[in-house]
Amino acid sequence: MISQEEFDRFVNDYNEDYKLLLTRASKRHYDCLITSFMVLKDFYNMIQVMYDTGGYTFKDMPYPFSFRADDVLLRELGFDDVGIGNIFGFLHFVKETQGMEFEACLEAGTLAMCARVR
Amino acid sequence: MPGGGDPGDVRQSEITLMNQVEIADEIEATIDTLIETWTEAVRDDPRIESDATLSKPELIDHVPAILHEICALIRNNETPEVRNSQEARANVYVRFHQGYKGRDLIRELSLLRITLLDHLLDISSDETLAPDPESSHNAARIFNLYLDEEMRYAISVYGTAPSSPERSSSDSSS
Repeated sequence: MISQEEFDRFVNDYNEDYKLLLTRASKRHYDCLITSFMVLKDFYNMIQVMYDTGGYTFKDMPYPFSFRADDVLLRELGFDDVGIGNIFGFLHFVKETQGMEFEACLEAGTLAMCARVR
Repeated sequence: MPGGGDPGDVRQSEITLMNQVEIADEIEATIDTLIETWTEAVRDDPRIESDATLSKPELIDHVPAILHEICALIRNNETPEVRNSQEARANVYVRFHQGYKGRDLIRELSLLRITLLDHLLDISSDETLAPDPESSHNAARIFNLYLDEEMRYAISVYGTAPSSPERSSSDSSS
């Protein structure tokens, strides 16, 4: 059984990792980023499933996994116009290099994974 | 009737009924109109107070993404649940941090539900579109389950978060 304290740590770790990946995107470090987001999405879903099944509360809310429509959130996380432009640029980069939207890549699993880890 | 049944049956068989993919396409093609209808409904609702300080883009925020996500679920005939309602969770996160009251978020989602169901009825009563009843029912079911999923999350978050803006404001006023 996972304790509330362990659950809080999961949420903190997720939030840190999420911010780290967005920071990479904001600096145009797009290499293997889809793979990293894939792994993080599983982590996010695990947190949400645990929360949904009851017994846990959020000390801090996990950042929403989706950032496509979220200028407001990205500003709140401290990204400036250039950084936000680069983060949204990542979505275009994915479409161009993978031939599908970011969300579809996440669903596609290993097909869209970075060649280095596939 | 010799040689066949009701002539209406023949006409019915000649109509190609809209399936779920086409219903999703039709909804996606009218997202801007749906957002406009919903925005007006929220702004006109005297029971919603939290929207007063929000600009139109802030109010609209994740709603287009929510509609795209719902359309994808209708297209794939997937049941909304925790793992495929990302935009719903994002919307709750943003509303919570915008200082939106929980009851206003629930009312706002209720208005979105009405907007979508009304539109589905419009599609159903349009003879040129004619969705098949089962597809129409499935689409309505997905609307409802998706929005219920978001409400469930919102109620959990607003009910238990220690830093709930709603609680903080009521605490400070007491």
